[in-house]
Amino acid sequence: MLPTYQDGGVNLVNRLAYARSEPKRGDVVAVRLAGQSVMYLKRVVGLPGDTVAFHKGHLLINGEVVAEPYLNPGCDWEIPPETLAPDLYYVVGDNRSMPEKLHEKGKTPKQRIVGRVVW
Amino acid sequence: MTKPVRLILAAALIGLAIWGWRVWFPSPQDAIRSRLLSLARTVSVEPGEGTIPRGLKAQSLGDYFTADVVINLEVRGFDTRELQGRDELMQAVMGAMQHVRGLKVEFLDINVTLDADNQTAVANLTGKATVEGEGDFQVQEFNFKLKKVDRTWLIYRIDTVKTLSHTTAFRPSHV
Repeated sequence: MLPTYQDGGVNLVNRLAYARSEPKRGDVVAVRLAGQSVMYLKRVVGLPGDTVAFHKGHLLINGEVVAEPYLNPGCDWEIPPETLAPDLYYVVGDNRSMPEKLHEKGKTPKQRIVGRVVW
Repeated sequence: MTKPVRLILAAALIGLAIWGWRVWFPSPQDAIRSRLLSLARTVSVEPGEGTIPRGLKAQSLGDYFTADVVINLEVRGFDTRELQGRDELMQAVMGAMQHVRGLKVEFLDINVTLDADNQTAVANLTGKATVEGEGDFQVQEFNFKLKKVDRTWLIYRIDTVKTLSHTTAFRPSHV
């Protein structure tokens, strides 16, 4: 999640953040793998039903470019549009200057989102 | 011997008996977890560990897999690779073990689901690999499929799980 969060840092996750609400676009969340010993920190960019794409490194939601001031320049990703199922969120890290094929990103159900990263 | 002392002694004996029972007759889930943790230790390489110990460890991998094991690896950033059979697996592991200075493999959050017949099971887990000298580590979610052969749980299939590639409504990842 560079540059927003450093590798090896300690982060606080609010596990109750989504008990009564849904993740919002722009939230940084912790996504579990098999359990909660290791989790991905990712940013929610696509909400259920959205069509997500990347063109020349810019995030497009439903065909519109989304401003992302938290990113460093240098992203050149090209990902064709994909519409999310009604229960899926699209999450991606902020370190998008790395090659797209090496970047762990994609669709996740809410059940895998452990909580919102507070800091 | 007073009554309280007898009660404490009896409680201690019952506790010891339960502990002993669990050690000697572990549940299938505990047996599988123990087996997988042992496998992680086996494929780990201590820095400075000699070639012969590494080769012996690779040889002992055969104890964990069926002869027709299939391993399907799709890890982001690497070529997709399928290993078929215990021999091919052992050769691949032996080759890898000879080329790393040190490697720590951990299997975390092992969730075991037994099938109805109690003879096959799926273990969903997170694999964590730390290469000696590198500050970062790799994590990957896996499904290990095991079957009971002569009272021993053997792995007959391993698949990577694409954690962030769900396409449908959520289900437990081992389904």
